[in-house]
Amino acid sequence: MAHRDLREFTDALQSGGDLVTIDDEVDWDQELAGIGRLSCERDGPAFMFNNVKDYAGWRVLANPVTGWRRYAVALGLPAGTPIRELYKIYAQREQNPIQPILVNSSPCKEVIIPKSDIDLFDLPVPMVHDGDGGRYLGTWDLVISKDRDTGWVNWGMYRFMVHDEHHLTGYPRPNSHLGKMLLDGYAPAGEPMPIAIVIGADQPSHLSATATFRMGGDEVELAGGLGERAVELIKCETSDLFVPASAEIVVEAEIYPDKIAQEGPYGEYPGYRSGEMGNSVCARVTAITHRRDPIFTIDTTGFMDSSAVTTSISGAIAIRRRLERYDIPVAEVYIPPESGVHMAIVSVTRGGPDVARQVVEILTARRALMSKVIVVDDDVDVFNMSAVIHAFSTKCHPDRGTHIHRYEGRANALTPAYSQEERVNQLGASVAFDATWPPDWPAGTTPIRATLDSMYTKDVQDRVNARWKKLGL
Amino acid sequence: MAEEYEAFVRDRDHAVSGNQVVLTLRDLTPGRHKYKGINVRAVISEAPVAGEPLLWLRSVVGTRDAAPCSVRITEHLAPVFDAPPYTDYFKVMEALE
Repeated sequence: MAHRDLREFTDALQSGGDLVTIDDEVDWDQELAGIGRLSCERDGPAFMFNNVKDYAGWRVLANPVTGWRRYAVALGLPAGTPIRELYKIYAQREQNPIQPILVNSSPCKEVIIPKSDIDLFDLPVPMVHDGDGGRYLGTWDLVISKDRDTGWVNWGMYRFMVHDEHHLTGYPRPNSHLGKMLLDGYAPAGEPMPIAIVIGADQPSHLSATATFRMGGDEVELAGGLGERAVELIKCETSDLFVPASAEIVVEAEIYPDKIAQEGPYGEYPGYRSGEMGNSVCARVTAITHRRDPIFTIDTTGFMDSSAVTTSISGAIAIRRRLERYDIPVAEVYIPPESGVHMAIVSVTRGGPDVARQVVEILTARRALMSKVIVVDDDVDVFNMSAVIHAFSTKCHPDRGTHIHRYEGRANALTPAYSQEERVNQLGASVAFDATWPPDWPAGTTPIRATLDSMYTKDVQDRVNARWKKLGL
Repeated sequence: MAEEYEAFVRDRDHAVSGNQVVLTLRDLTPGRHKYKGINVRAVISEAPVAGEPLLWLRSVVGTRDAAPCSVRITEHLAPVFDAPPYTDYFKVMEALE
Protein backbone atom coordinates (compact mmCIF):
# COMPACT_ATOMS: atom_id res chain seq x y z
CA MET A 1 0.00 0.00 0.00
CA ALA A 2 1.30 3.46 -0.89
CA HIS A 3 1.96 6.23 1.62
CA ARG A 4 -0.98 8.37 2.69
CA ASP A 5 0.62 11.73 1.91
CA LEU A 6 3.79 13.46 0.78
CA ARG A 7 5.23 13.58 4.30
CA GLU A 8 4.95 9.84 4.89
CA PHE A 9 6.49 9.35 1.45
CA THR A 10 9.46 11.64 2.14
CA ASP A 11 10.04 9.89 5.48
CA ALA A 12 10.27 6.61 3.59
CA LEU A 13 12.66 8.11 1.05
CA GLN A 14 14.86 9.50 3.78
CA SER A 15 15.05 6.24 5.69
CA GLY A 16 16.07 4.45 2.50
CA GLY A 17 18.79 6.97 1.62
CA ASP A 18 16.85 8.34 -1.36
CA LEU A 19 16.36 11.87 0.00
CA VAL A 20 18.98 14.45 0.94
CA THR A 21 17.99 17.40 3.13
CA ILE A 22 19.73 20.77 2.70
CA ASP A 23 19.47 23.29 5.55
CA ASP A 24 21.78 25.93 4.04
CA GLU A 25 20.12 28.74 2.12
CA VAL A 26 19.55 27.89 -1.55
CA ASP A 27 18.36 30.32 -4.24
CA TRP A 28 15.00 29.60 -5.90
CA ASP A 29 16.44 31.31 -8.99
CA GLN A 30 18.04 28.38 -10.85
CA GLU A 31 20.31 27.10 -8.06
CA LEU A 32 17.75 24.88 -6.39
CA ALA A 33 16.60 23.38 -9.69
CA GLY A 34 20.18 23.05 -10.88
CA ILE A 35 20.92 20.72 -7.97
CA GLY A 36 17.85 18.69 -8.88
CA ARG A 37 18.85 18.67 -12.55
CA LEU A 38 22.30 17.27 -11.80
CA SER A 39 20.70 14.64 -9.63
CA CYS A 40 18.50 13.52 -12.53
CA GLU A 41 21.51 13.24 -14.80
CA ARG A 42 23.47 11.22 -12.22
CA ASP A 43 20.60 9.06 -11.01
CA GLY A 44 20.91 10.78 -7.64
CA PRO A 45 18.47 11.33 -4.76
CA ALA A 46 15.54 13.69 -4.22
CA PHE A 47 16.35 16.91 -2.37
CA MET A 48 14.44 18.69 0.39
CA PHE A 49 15.42 22.36 0.60
CA ASN A 50 14.57 23.67 4.06
CA ASN A 51 15.88 27.21 3.61
CA VAL A 52 14.82 28.86 0.36
CA LYS A 53 16.03 32.40 -0.31
CA ASP A 54 13.23 34.99 0.01
CA TYR A 55 10.77 32.35 1.24
CA ALA A 56 11.15 31.72 4.97
CA GLY A 57 8.68 29.15 6.23
CA TRP A 58 8.49 27.23 2.96
CA ARG A 59 10.22 24.03 1.98
CA VAL A 60 10.81 22.81 -1.56
CA LEU A 61 11.09 19.15 -2.53
CA ALA A 62 12.83 18.52 -5.86
CA ASN A 63 12.10 15.41 -7.91
CA PRO A 64 9.88 13.29 -5.65
CA VAL A 65 9.58 10.53 -8.25
CA THR A 66 12.62 10.47 -10.51
CA GLY A 67 14.29 7.12 -11.10
CA TRP A 68 13.01 3.63 -10.53
CA ARG A 69 13.86 3.52 -6.82
CA ARG A 70 11.60 6.44 -5.93
CA TYR A 71 8.97 5.18 -8.36
CA ALA A 72 8.87 1.92 -6.41
CA VAL A 73 8.57 3.76 -3.07
CA ALA A 74 5.76 5.88 -4.54
CA LEU A 75 3.83 2.66 -5.09
CA GLY A 76 4.63 1.56 -1.52
CA LEU A 77 7.14 -1.06 -2.72
CA PRO A 78 10.79 -1.68 -1.74
CA ALA A 79 13.12 0.76 -3.50
CA GLY A 80 15.03 -2.03 -5.23
CA THR A 81 12.01 -3.60 -6.95
CA PRO A 82 13.13 -4.71 -10.47
CA ILE A 83 11.80 -2.71 -13.43
CA ARG A 84 9.98 -5.65 -15.01
CA GLU A 85 8.25 -6.27 -11.67
CA LEU A 86 7.22 -2.59 -11.47
CA TYR A 87 5.66 -2.87 -14.92
CA LYS A 88 3.80 -5.99 -13.83
CA ILE A 89 2.54 -4.49 -10.57
CA TYR A 90 1.46 -1.26 -12.26
CA ALA A 91 -0.51 -3.21 -14.87
CA GLN A 92 -2.21 -5.27 -12.15
CA ARG A 93 -3.11 -2.30 -9.96
CA GLU A 94 -4.38 -0.32 -12.93
CA GLN A 95 -7.01 -3.03 -13.35
CA ASN A 96 -8.23 -2.67 -9.74
CA PRO A 97 -9.60 0.86 -9.37
CA ILE A 98 -10.69 2.06 -5.92
CA GLN A 99 -13.39 4.67 -5.41
CA PRO A 100 -12.45 7.88 -3.57
CA ILE A 101 -13.81 9.03 -0.22
CA LEU A 102 -15.17 12.56 0.33
CA VAL A 103 -14.02 14.40 3.44
CA ASN A 104 -14.96 17.75 4.94
CA SER A 105 -11.71 18.85 6.49
CA SER A 106 -8.05 18.59 5.69
CA PRO A 107 -4.72 20.27 6.52
CA CYS A 108 -4.67 21.60 2.95
CA LYS A 109 -7.29 24.14 4.09
CA GLU A 110 -5.29 25.39 7.08
CA VAL A 111 -4.50 28.59 5.16
CA ILE A 112 -7.07 29.97 2.72
CA ILE A 113 -6.09 32.95 0.56
CA PRO A 114 -9.05 34.60 -1.17
CA LYS A 115 -8.87 36.08 -4.65
CA SER A 116 -8.47 39.62 -3.33
CA ASP A 117 -5.27 38.75 -1.42
CA ILE A 118 -3.55 36.56 -3.99
CA ASP A 119 0.02 37.20 -5.03
CA LEU A 120 1.50 34.21 -6.83
CA PHE A 121 4.97 35.49 -5.99
CA ASP A 122 4.26 34.61 -2.36
CA LEU A 123 4.80 30.98 -3.40
CA PRO A 124 8.42 29.76 -3.71
CA VAL A 125 8.02 29.03 -7.41
CA PRO A 126 11.50 28.27 -8.76
CA MET A 127 13.15 29.44 -11.95
CA VAL A 128 13.91 25.97 -13.24
CA HIS A 129 16.32 26.74 -16.11
CA ASP A 130 18.11 29.88 -17.31
CA GLY A 131 16.18 31.14 -20.33
CA ASP A 132 12.80 29.71 -19.45
CA GLY A 133 9.89 32.04 -20.18
CA GLY A 134 9.20 32.44 -16.48
CA ARG A 135 8.86 30.63 -13.16
CA TYR A 136 7.03 27.33 -13.44
CA LEU A 137 4.55 26.57 -10.70
CA GLY A 138 3.26 23.41 -12.33
CA THR A 139 5.98 20.85 -12.92
CA TRP A 140 5.20 17.99 -10.54
CA ASP A 141 1.54 18.92 -10.24
CA LEU A 142 -1.92 17.48 -10.72
CA VAL A 143 -4.35 19.61 -12.71
CA ILE A 144 -8.02 18.84 -12.24
CA SER A 145 -10.69 19.88 -14.71
CA LYS A 146 -14.24 18.85 -15.59
CA ASP A 147 -15.85 18.40 -18.98
CA ARG A 148 -18.47 21.09 -19.44
CA ASP A 149 -21.00 18.80 -21.11
CA THR A 150 -20.43 15.31 -19.71
CA GLY A 151 -19.11 16.13 -16.25
CA TRP A 152 -16.14 13.80 -16.77
CA VAL A 153 -13.28 14.78 -14.48
CA ASN A 154 -9.76 14.78 -15.87
CA TRP A 155 -6.55 14.54 -13.85
CA GLY A 156 -3.45 15.49 -15.80
CA MET A 157 0.04 16.80 -15.25
CA TYR A 158 0.45 20.01 -17.22
CA ARG A 159 2.99 22.80 -17.03
CA PHE A 160 1.86 26.20 -15.68
CA MET A 161 3.95 29.37 -15.45
CA VAL A 162 3.53 32.48 -13.30
CA HIS A 163 2.75 35.46 -15.54
CA ASP A 164 2.07 38.04 -12.84
CA GLU A 165 0.58 38.20 -9.33
CA HIS A 166 -2.81 36.89 -10.48
CA HIS A 167 -2.30 35.07 -13.79
CA LEU A 168 -0.88 31.77 -14.89
CA THR A 169 -0.18 30.62 -18.40
CA GLY A 170 0.08 26.97 -19.32
CA TYR A 171 0.71 24.51 -22.06
CA PRO A 172 -1.62 21.58 -21.87
CA ARG A 173 -1.28 20.48 -25.50
CA PRO A 174 -4.35 21.28 -27.61
CA ASN A 175 -4.93 17.56 -28.17
CA SER A 176 -4.51 16.70 -24.48
CA HIS A 177 -7.61 15.82 -22.50
CA LEU A 178 -7.65 19.26 -20.85
CA GLY A 179 -6.99 20.98 -24.16
CA LYS A 180 -9.88 19.18 -25.80
CA MET A 181 -12.24 20.00 -22.92
CA LEU A 182 -11.36 23.66 -23.31
CA LEU A 183 -11.51 23.83 -27.09
CA ASP A 184 -14.62 21.67 -27.50
CA GLY A 185 -16.63 22.93 -24.53
CA TYR A 186 -15.76 26.04 -22.55
CA ALA A 187 -14.14 28.18 -25.25
CA PRO A 188 -17.00 27.88 -27.79
CA ALA A 189 -19.48 28.63 -24.98
CA GLY A 190 -17.46 31.65 -23.89
CA GLU A 191 -17.26 30.34 -20.32
CA PRO A 192 -14.22 30.24 -18.04
CA MET A 193 -12.99 26.73 -17.30
CA PRO A 194 -12.41 25.99 -13.59
CA ILE A 195 -9.22 24.13 -12.78
CA ALA A 196 -7.36 23.18 -9.62
CA ILE A 197 -3.59 22.84 -9.65
CA VAL A 198 -2.62 20.48 -6.85
CA ILE A 199 0.91 20.41 -5.49
CA GLY A 200 2.29 17.85 -3.05
CA ALA A 201 -0.52 15.30 -2.88
CA ASP A 202 -0.09 11.59 -2.20
CA GLN A 203 2.18 10.22 -4.92
CA PRO A 204 -0.29 7.76 -6.53
CA SER A 205 -2.48 10.77 -7.31
CA HIS A 206 0.40 12.39 -9.18
CA LEU A 207 1.26 9.12 -10.90
CA SER A 208 -2.34 8.87 -12.05
CA ALA A 209 -2.11 12.40 -13.44
CA THR A 210 0.95 11.44 -15.49
CA ALA A 211 -0.65 8.25 -16.75
CA THR A 212 -1.46 7.59 -20.36
CA PHE A 213 -5.10 6.82 -19.70
CA ARG A 214 -8.18 6.61 -21.86
CA MET A 215 -10.41 9.65 -22.30
CA GLY A 216 -13.42 9.19 -20.04
CA GLY A 217 -11.46 6.96 -17.66
CA ASP A 218 -11.64 7.68 -13.95
CA GLU A 219 -8.16 8.85 -12.93
CA VAL A 220 -9.24 9.34 -9.30
CA GLU A 221 -10.09 5.65 -9.05
CA LEU A 222 -6.88 4.84 -10.93
CA ALA A 223 -4.94 6.71 -8.23
CA GLY A 224 -6.72 4.63 -5.61
CA GLY A 225 -5.84 1.46 -7.48
CA LEU A 226 -2.19 2.39 -7.91
CA GLY A 227 -1.85 3.21 -4.23
CA GLU A 228 -4.11 0.38 -3.05
CA ARG A 229 -6.00 2.86 -0.86
CA ALA A 230 -8.93 5.17 -1.49
CA VAL A 231 -7.96 8.75 -2.28
CA GLU A 232 -9.59 11.25 0.07
CA LEU A 233 -11.10 14.21 -1.78
CA ILE A 234 -12.17 17.61 -0.54
CA LYS A 235 -14.12 20.33 -2.36
CA CYS A 236 -12.48 23.45 -3.76
CA GLU A 237 -13.28 26.87 -2.35
CA THR A 238 -14.29 28.53 -5.62
CA SER A 239 -15.55 25.72 -7.86
CA ASP A 240 -17.25 22.34 -7.61
CA LEU A 241 -14.01 20.50 -8.33
CA PHE A 242 -12.66 18.07 -5.75
CA VAL A 243 -8.96 17.79 -4.93
CA PRO A 244 -6.90 15.24 -2.96
CA ALA A 245 -7.18 16.16 0.71
CA SER A 246 -3.55 15.13 1.17
CA ALA A 247 -2.37 18.13 -0.89
CA GLU A 248 0.21 20.53 0.44
CA ILE A 249 -0.97 23.39 -1.80
CA VAL A 250 -3.98 23.92 -4.08
CA VAL A 251 -4.15 26.76 -6.60
CA GLU A 252 -7.70 27.27 -7.83
CA ALA A 253 -8.10 29.11 -11.13
CA GLU A 254 -10.23 29.67 -14.20
CA ILE A 255 -8.87 29.35 -17.72
CA TYR A 256 -10.09 32.21 -19.87
CA PRO A 257 -12.12 31.26 -22.95
CA ASP A 258 -10.95 34.41 -24.71
CA LYS A 259 -7.62 35.65 -23.33
CA ILE A 260 -3.98 34.66 -23.61
CA ALA A 261 -0.56 35.78 -22.39
CA GLN A 262 3.04 34.77 -22.89
CA GLU A 263 3.93 31.20 -21.99
CA GLY A 264 7.24 29.42 -22.43
CA PRO A 265 9.66 28.50 -23.67
CA TYR A 266 10.46 25.78 -21.17
CA GLY A 267 13.08 23.03 -20.94
CA GLU A 268 10.83 20.05 -21.39
CA TYR A 269 10.74 16.30 -20.77
CA PRO A 270 12.27 15.28 -24.14
CA GLY A 271 15.42 16.90 -22.79
CA TYR A 272 15.38 20.14 -24.80
CA ARG A 273 13.87 23.60 -24.81
CA SER A 274 12.19 23.69 -28.19
CA GLY A 275 10.57 26.63 -29.92
CA GLU A 276 7.05 25.59 -29.05
CA MET A 277 6.16 28.89 -27.34
CA GLY A 278 3.40 31.08 -28.67
CA ASN A 279 0.37 28.80 -28.27
CA SER A 280 -0.99 28.47 -24.79
CA VAL A 281 -3.81 29.05 -22.33
CA CYS A 282 -4.16 31.72 -19.65
CA ALA A 283 -5.82 31.42 -16.24
CA ARG A 284 -6.84 33.81 -13.47
CA VAL A 285 -6.23 32.47 -9.96
CA THR A 286 -9.35 32.48 -7.78
CA ALA A 287 -8.00 31.09 -4.47
CA ILE A 288 -4.98 29.41 -2.93
CA THR A 289 -5.15 27.01 -0.02
CA HIS A 290 -2.26 25.30 1.71
CA ARG A 291 -0.97 23.64 4.86
CA ARG A 292 0.60 25.82 7.54
CA ASP A 293 4.07 24.38 6.99
CA PRO A 294 3.82 23.74 3.26
CA ILE A 295 6.14 21.77 1.02
CA PHE A 296 6.29 22.94 -2.60
CA THR A 297 7.27 20.19 -5.04
CA ILE A 298 9.04 20.52 -8.37
CA ASP A 299 10.27 18.31 -11.14
CA THR A 300 13.51 19.63 -12.63
CA THR A 301 12.25 18.91 -16.09
CA GLY A 302 14.67 17.75 -18.78
CA PHE A 303 16.71 14.68 -19.62
CA MET A 304 15.85 11.79 -17.27
CA ASP A 305 13.20 13.74 -15.36
CA SER A 306 10.18 12.13 -13.72
CA SER A 307 8.54 11.36 -17.06
CA ALA A 308 11.44 9.02 -17.85
CA VAL A 309 9.86 6.57 -15.44
CA THR A 310 6.28 7.73 -14.83
CA THR A 311 5.08 8.37 -18.37
CA SER A 312 7.26 5.58 -19.69
CA ILE A 313 5.68 2.86 -17.58
CA SER A 314 2.06 3.93 -18.03
CA GLY A 315 2.69 4.68 -21.71
CA ALA A 316 4.21 1.27 -22.34
CA ILE A 317 1.30 -0.48 -20.66
CA ALA A 318 -1.20 1.63 -22.62
CA ILE A 319 0.61 0.76 -25.85
CA ARG A 320 0.48 -2.92 -25.02
CA ARG A 321 -3.25 -2.82 -24.28
CA ARG A 322 -3.94 -0.84 -27.43
CA LEU A 323 -2.01 -3.24 -29.64
CA GLU A 324 -3.78 -6.19 -28.03
CA ARG A 325 -7.14 -4.59 -28.86
CA TYR A 326 -6.09 -4.54 -32.51
CA ASP A 327 -4.98 -8.21 -32.39
CA ILE A 328 -1.30 -7.42 -32.78
CA PRO A 329 0.61 -10.44 -31.39
CA VAL A 330 2.38 -8.30 -28.81
CA ALA A 331 4.48 -9.96 -26.13
CA GLU A 332 6.02 -7.07 -24.18
CA VAL A 333 6.48 -3.29 -24.48
CA TYR A 334 9.19 -1.13 -22.90
CA ILE A 335 9.88 2.59 -23.18
CA PRO A 336 13.54 3.24 -22.31
CA PRO A 337 13.84 6.18 -19.86
CA GLU A 338 16.70 7.65 -21.91
CA SER A 339 14.38 8.06 -24.93
CA GLY A 340 12.51 11.02 -23.47
CA VAL A 341 9.27 9.07 -24.06
CA HIS A 342 9.95 9.12 -27.81
CA MET A 343 10.86 5.48 -28.46
CA ALA A 344 9.11 2.22 -27.66
CA ILE A 345 10.43 -1.32 -27.92
CA VAL A 346 7.67 -3.76 -28.85
CA SER A 347 8.25 -7.50 -28.93
CA VAL A 348 5.88 -9.69 -30.91
CA THR A 349 5.34 -13.42 -31.24
CA ARG A 350 5.02 -13.04 -35.01
CA GLY A 351 6.73 -10.20 -36.85
CA GLY A 352 7.21 -9.01 -40.40
CA PRO A 353 6.49 -5.83 -42.37
CA ASP A 354 2.71 -5.95 -42.05
CA VAL A 355 2.88 -6.14 -38.28
CA ALA A 356 5.45 -3.34 -38.05
CA ARG A 357 3.36 -1.10 -40.30
CA GLN A 358 0.21 -1.80 -38.27
CA VAL A 359 2.02 -1.05 -35.01
CA VAL A 360 3.09 2.43 -36.08
CA GLU A 361 -0.32 3.24 -37.55
CA ILE A 362 -2.19 2.15 -34.42
CA LEU A 363 0.11 4.04 -32.08
CA THR A 364 -0.30 7.33 -33.95
CA ALA A 365 -4.04 7.20 -34.66
CA ARG A 366 -5.16 9.89 -32.15
CA ARG A 367 -2.06 11.66 -30.90
CA ALA A 368 1.43 10.74 -31.81
CA LEU A 369 3.73 11.04 -28.82
CA MET A 370 6.02 8.20 -29.87
CA SER A 371 8.10 8.93 -32.94
CA LYS A 372 10.14 5.73 -33.05
CA VAL A 373 9.13 2.13 -32.47
CA ILE A 374 11.51 -0.80 -32.64
CA VAL A 375 9.68 -4.07 -33.25
CA VAL A 376 11.58 -7.16 -32.17
CA ASP A 377 10.90 -10.88 -31.98
CA ASP A 378 9.85 -12.19 -28.60
CA ASP A 379 13.18 -13.93 -28.01
CA VAL A 380 14.62 -10.46 -27.47
CA ASP A 381 14.25 -9.13 -23.91
CA VAL A 382 12.79 -5.64 -24.39
CA PHE A 383 14.17 -4.56 -20.99
CA ASN A 384 17.70 -5.49 -22.06
CA MET A 385 18.94 -2.64 -24.24
CA SER A 386 22.06 -4.59 -25.28
CA ALA A 387 19.83 -7.26 -26.78
CA VAL A 388 17.56 -4.63 -28.37
CA ILE A 389 20.43 -2.70 -29.95
CA HIS A 390 21.90 -5.96 -31.23
CA ALA A 391 18.59 -6.96 -32.82
CA PHE A 392 17.97 -3.49 -34.26
CA SER A 393 21.47 -3.18 -35.68
CA THR A 394 21.58 -6.60 -37.29
CA LYS A 395 18.01 -7.61 -38.14
CA CYS A 396 16.41 -4.37 -39.30
CA HIS A 397 16.74 -4.12 -43.08
CA PRO A 398 17.84 -0.53 -43.86
CA ASP A 399 15.26 -0.28 -46.65
CA ARG A 400 12.52 -2.90 -46.24
CA GLY A 401 12.62 -2.70 -42.44
CA THR A 402 11.82 1.01 -42.16
CA HIS A 403 8.16 1.98 -42.13
CA ILE A 404 7.44 5.72 -41.97
CA HIS A 405 3.95 7.00 -41.19
CA ARG A 406 3.26 10.73 -41.67
CA TYR A 407 0.41 12.72 -40.08
CA GLU A 408 -0.95 16.20 -39.56
CA GLY A 409 -2.69 17.81 -36.58
CA ARG A 410 -1.60 15.28 -33.99
CA ALA A 411 2.18 15.40 -33.85
CA ASN A 412 3.98 16.07 -30.59
CA ALA A 413 4.91 19.76 -30.68
CA LEU A 414 7.60 19.10 -28.08
CA THR A 415 9.56 16.72 -30.33
CA PRO A 416 12.88 18.54 -30.78
CA ALA A 417 13.41 17.20 -34.31
CA TYR A 418 10.44 19.12 -35.69
CA SER A 419 10.80 22.53 -37.30
CA GLN A 420 8.88 25.55 -36.03
CA GLU A 421 6.39 25.14 -38.88
CA GLU A 422 5.84 21.46 -38.10
CA ARG A 423 5.41 22.31 -34.43
CA VAL A 424 2.75 24.94 -35.09
CA ASN A 425 0.79 22.69 -37.44
CA GLN A 426 1.45 19.54 -35.43
CA LEU A 427 2.89 17.96 -38.54
CA GLY A 428 5.07 14.96 -38.00
CA ALA A 429 5.99 11.37 -38.65
CA SER A 430 6.66 8.19 -36.76
CA VAL A 431 8.76 5.28 -37.88
CA ALA A 432 8.67 1.59 -37.09
CA PHE A 433 11.97 -0.22 -37.37
CA ASP A 434 11.19 -3.84 -38.10
CA ALA A 435 13.87 -5.88 -36.34
CA THR A 436 12.00 -9.18 -36.68
CA TRP A 437 12.67 -12.01 -39.07
CA PRO A 438 10.38 -11.98 -42.10
CA PRO A 439 7.80 -14.69 -41.43
CA ASP A 440 7.97 -15.86 -45.05
CA TRP A 441 11.62 -16.88 -44.83
CA PRO A 442 11.98 -20.66 -44.85
CA ALA A 443 12.71 -21.94 -41.36
CA GLY A 444 15.98 -23.52 -42.38
CA THR A 445 17.39 -20.27 -43.76
CA THR A 446 16.68 -17.86 -40.89
CA PRO A 447 20.01 -16.87 -39.26
CA ILE A 448 20.77 -18.27 -35.82
CA ARG A 449 21.96 -15.88 -33.11
CA ALA A 450 25.50 -16.65 -32.02
CA THR A 451 24.84 -16.53 -28.30
CA LEU A 452 25.03 -19.18 -25.61
CA ASP A 453 21.28 -19.52 -25.37
CA SER A 454 20.81 -19.99 -29.14
CA MET A 455 23.86 -21.70 -30.64
CA TYR A 456 24.62 -24.35 -28.06
CA THR A 457 22.82 -27.49 -27.00
CA LYS A 458 20.84 -27.40 -23.80
CA ASP A 459 23.27 -29.87 -22.27
CA VAL A 460 26.26 -27.65 -23.02
CA GLN A 461 24.41 -24.55 -21.75
CA ASP A 462 23.72 -26.29 -18.46
CA ARG A 463 27.31 -27.43 -18.08
CA VAL A 464 28.69 -23.99 -18.93
CA ASN A 465 26.35 -22.28 -16.50
CA ALA A 466 27.21 -24.75 -13.74
CA ARG A 467 30.94 -24.25 -14.28
CA TRP A 468 30.46 -20.47 -14.38
CA LYS A 469 28.72 -20.62 -11.05
CA LYS A 470 31.36 -22.93 -9.56
CA LEU A 471 34.08 -20.47 -10.61
CA GLY A 472 32.23 -17.80 -8.66
CA LEU A 473 31.94 -15.53 -11.71
CA MET B 1 9.96 50.94 -13.38
CA ALA B 2 12.61 48.23 -13.26
CA GLU B 3 16.19 48.81 -14.35
CA GLU B 4 16.47 45.59 -16.32
CA TYR B 5 14.05 43.44 -18.31
CA GLU B 6 14.09 40.53 -20.70
CA ALA B 7 11.74 39.69 -23.57
CA PHE B 8 11.27 36.75 -25.90
CA VAL B 9 10.98 37.60 -29.58
CA ARG B 10 10.34 35.52 -32.66
CA ASP B 11 11.37 38.20 -35.16
CA ARG B 12 14.37 40.00 -33.71
CA ASP B 13 14.81 42.37 -36.66
CA HIS B 14 11.22 43.52 -36.28
CA ALA B 15 11.67 44.05 -32.54
CA VAL B 16 14.74 46.26 -32.91
CA SER B 17 13.47 48.14 -35.99
CA GLY B 18 13.16 51.34 -33.99
CA ASN B 19 9.39 51.32 -34.43
CA GLN B 20 6.98 50.97 -31.57
CA VAL B 21 6.28 47.29 -30.81
CA VAL B 22 4.11 45.35 -28.38
CA LEU B 23 6.07 43.16 -25.96
CA THR B 24 5.84 41.16 -22.80
CA LEU B 25 8.67 42.30 -20.56
CA ARG B 26 9.96 40.16 -17.69
CA ASP B 27 11.17 42.20 -14.74
CA LEU B 28 14.71 41.12 -13.72
CA THR B 29 14.81 43.07 -10.46
CA PRO B 30 16.17 40.66 -7.80
CA GLY B 31 13.69 39.56 -5.16
CA ARG B 32 10.38 37.80 -4.87
CA HIS B 33 8.81 39.40 -7.93
CA LYS B 34 11.66 38.67 -10.32
CA TYR B 35 10.39 37.46 -13.73
CA LYS B 36 6.98 39.12 -13.36
CA GLY B 37 5.49 39.81 -16.80
CA ILE B 38 4.07 43.11 -18.02
CA ASN B 39 2.62 43.87 -21.43
CA VAL B 40 3.69 47.15 -22.99
CA ARG B 41 4.06 49.24 -26.09
CA ALA B 42 7.69 50.18 -26.33
CA VAL B 43 10.56 51.20 -28.54
CA ILE B 44 13.73 49.13 -28.39
CA SER B 45 17.13 50.66 -29.01
CA GLU B 46 19.72 48.16 -30.10
CA ALA B 47 22.47 50.44 -28.79
CA PRO B 48 21.42 51.12 -25.19
CA VAL B 49 20.29 54.69 -24.55
CA ALA B 50 21.42 56.29 -21.31
CA GLY B 51 18.62 56.50 -18.76
CA GLU B 52 16.53 53.73 -20.35
CA PRO B 53 16.18 50.32 -18.68
CA LEU B 54 18.32 47.55 -20.16
CA LEU B 55 16.53 44.88 -22.16
CA TRP B 56 17.92 41.44 -22.84
CA LEU B 57 16.37 39.84 -25.90
CA ARG B 58 15.91 36.10 -26.03
CA SER B 59 14.93 33.86 -28.94
CA VAL B 60 11.97 31.47 -28.92
CA VAL B 61 14.21 28.77 -27.43
CA GLY B 62 15.53 31.16 -24.78
CA THR B 63 18.94 31.98 -26.25
CA ARG B 64 20.02 35.36 -24.90
CA ASP B 65 21.72 38.04 -26.97
CA ALA B 66 25.36 38.63 -26.12
CA ALA B 67 24.67 42.26 -25.25
CA PRO B 68 21.58 44.10 -24.00
CA CYS B 69 19.45 46.66 -25.80
CA SER B 70 17.50 49.33 -23.97
CA VAL B 71 13.76 49.88 -23.92
CA ARG B 72 11.51 52.92 -23.68
CA ILE B 73 8.03 52.02 -22.46
CA THR B 74 5.41 54.20 -24.09
CA GLU B 75 2.27 52.55 -22.74
CA HIS B 76 1.35 49.88 -20.23
CA LEU B 77 -1.20 47.40 -21.61
CA ALA B 78 -3.63 45.01 -19.93
CA PRO B 79 -1.94 41.97 -18.35
CA VAL B 80 -3.63 39.60 -20.80
CA PHE B 81 -4.51 39.89 -24.50
CA ASP B 82 -7.92 39.27 -26.05
CA ALA B 83 -7.64 36.11 -28.14
CA PRO B 84 -8.94 32.53 -27.99
CA PRO B 85 -6.80 29.90 -26.22
CA TYR B 86 -3.86 28.63 -28.28
CA THR B 87 -3.87 31.64 -30.59
CA ASP B 88 -0.38 32.50 -31.79
CA TYR B 89 0.74 35.00 -29.13
CA PHE B 90 3.32 36.70 -31.36
CA LYS B 91 0.72 37.35 -34.07
CA VAL B 92 -1.67 38.78 -31.48
CA MET B 93 0.98 41.22 -30.28
CA GLU B 94 1.89 42.17 -33.84
CA ALA B 95 -1.76 42.90 -34.60
CA LEU B 96 -1.84 45.34 -31.68
CA GLU B 97 1.07 47.41 -33.00
